[in-house]
Amino acid sequence: MKVKATEAGIVFLVLIVTGIAISMISGYWATEGSKIPAKYAEGEFAGLSNPADIRGSYSFDDIEKAFDISVETLAAAFGFGDDENPGSIQVKKFEEVFGIIDGKEIGTDSMRYFVALYKGLPFLPEVDTALPRPAISILRKEGAMTEDQLTEANESAVSLESTHISTDSTTDERNETALMEIKGKTTFAELYDWGVSKEELEKILGIPVGVRSESVREYSMSNGIEFSTVKTPIQELLDSK
Amino acid sequence: MKRKVKARKWIQVIFFTIAALIAVNHGLSEIGKPIPFVAEASLHAICPFGGVVSLYNLVATGTLVKKIHESSVVLMLIVFVSALLLGPLFCGWICPFGSFQEWISKIGRKLFKKKYNTFIPYKFDKYLRYLRYLVLICVLIMTAYSGKIIFADYDPYYALFQFWTGEVAITAYIALLLVIVASLFVERPFCKYACPYGAVLGLFNLIRIIPLRRNDSTCISCSACDKACSMNIPVSSGKKVLDHQCISCFECTSTDGVCPVSDTMEFSTGKLEEVKS
Repeated sequence: MKVKATEAGIVFLVLIVTGIAISMISGYWATEGSKIPAKYAEGEFAGLSNPADIRGSYSFDDIEKAFDISVETLAAAFGFGDDENPGSIQVKKFEEVFGIIDGKEIGTDSMRYFVALYKGLPFLPEVDTALPRPAISILRKEGAMTEDQLTEANESAVSLESTHISTDSTTDERNETALMEIKGKTTFAELYDWGVSKEELEKILGIPVGVRSESVREYSMSNGIEFSTVKTPIQELLDSK
Repeated sequence: MKRKVKARKWIQVIFFTIAALIAVNHGLSEIGKPIPFVAEASLHAICPFGGVVSLYNLVATGTLVKKIHESSVVLMLIVFVSALLLGPLFCGWICPFGSFQEWISKIGRKLFKKKYNTFIPYKFDKYLRYLRYLVLICVLIMTAYSGKIIFADYDPYYALFQFWTGEVAITAYIALLLVIVASLFVERPFCKYACPYGAVLGLFNLIRIIPLRRNDSTCISCSACDKACSMNIPVSSGKKVLDHQCISCFECTSTDGVCPVSDTMEFSTGKLEEVKS
């Protein structure tokens, strides 16, 4: 039997159409992931969703459904508290928005790490995976991890100051409030609003505090104090609030 | 060129357009503005090679490699069935990147005329053709080891259809540029030397049910078939073409291609001397 080009083309097209149709009818055809993470197969956590299977295509909504962590918590942890529709944010956006900060990466693995710590599930992050500081604050208050795990995560935490947070002052202020993160522009008044007392600040600064409207950075520098030396203890104080 | 081979050209254009539309639409659907009536699948979801690289994961863990979906497995099986019948029809008729290289080659033909596609001496070329199996082995091992589609970072096809997304690695852009430049000198360079999927499908040439046959008794040894072969296969040198590089394009055949003698070069289940069309 001889086969002509047109016959071969028709045979191929028929195979494609028939094959896809059969797989659709049988329910096997899928061009998108189910957004349901794999579960631990054995051990203490068998049957629970495994954060290691969170993929870049997962939205905050998907993660909320799979791990019962609210979209608001996820958004606040990664600095999207002011986003109009945080539920639709896909985790793969992290690489674009954050990328590498101080040699560490906030990406899909960061979300896996956060979820694992929040739910107290076993997970080993990549060496260069980091969590943003707001995520550490949330974990400190709500996470189910051990103290050692939190300390380890805190050591590799990075500030979101130089990333997606808009330079627009209005947006910046709102984000800062949501994140409780000390930056160069943070004033004493904002620290008071976040629950830090005058006495606590004076203990860290070693001198009386400045006027409410003055930024901590400017005040520190004008008094011969390196801002970096007071920034970390003040942030730790904020994290503990 | 005879009328029926033009059908292949049209099918190539259609599938290239479908792949491009799906690639663009995937990005648009992520921002809530999909093109009506176009599938919201990713490029990975419509690539049958995704099924091949997922085979190890499927067997070992029952899951697919990340970003690969069940559609890839279905398409892989469909292409395998077609290749078992007629060889790598997918390469010659459907693959958008193969078509892209063919279109670039038209510029090369204008530039170099008859010298085009003859720059690499056969004594080297015949060994270089096995490079794609090395690529295939590396891709399979790396994918099985990592559970990720590692090849996307080096895949010129992915770079071509995703170059605007920011998701393409610099290595893939370099690979695409190299293929474009090489296509000005050699026809289908990626298919010949580097395509891991072509390597898999090429193996079906050895076992396919309907092979390409030459009728030795009517052949006038004009070498038209050899010259027409984009893959530089010495088609006129045997009675049955079992070369692993054949892409079933039909350009060399009597009915649809350049062979001037009827019933001399055909895809046929039996020997041509015995077959009456």
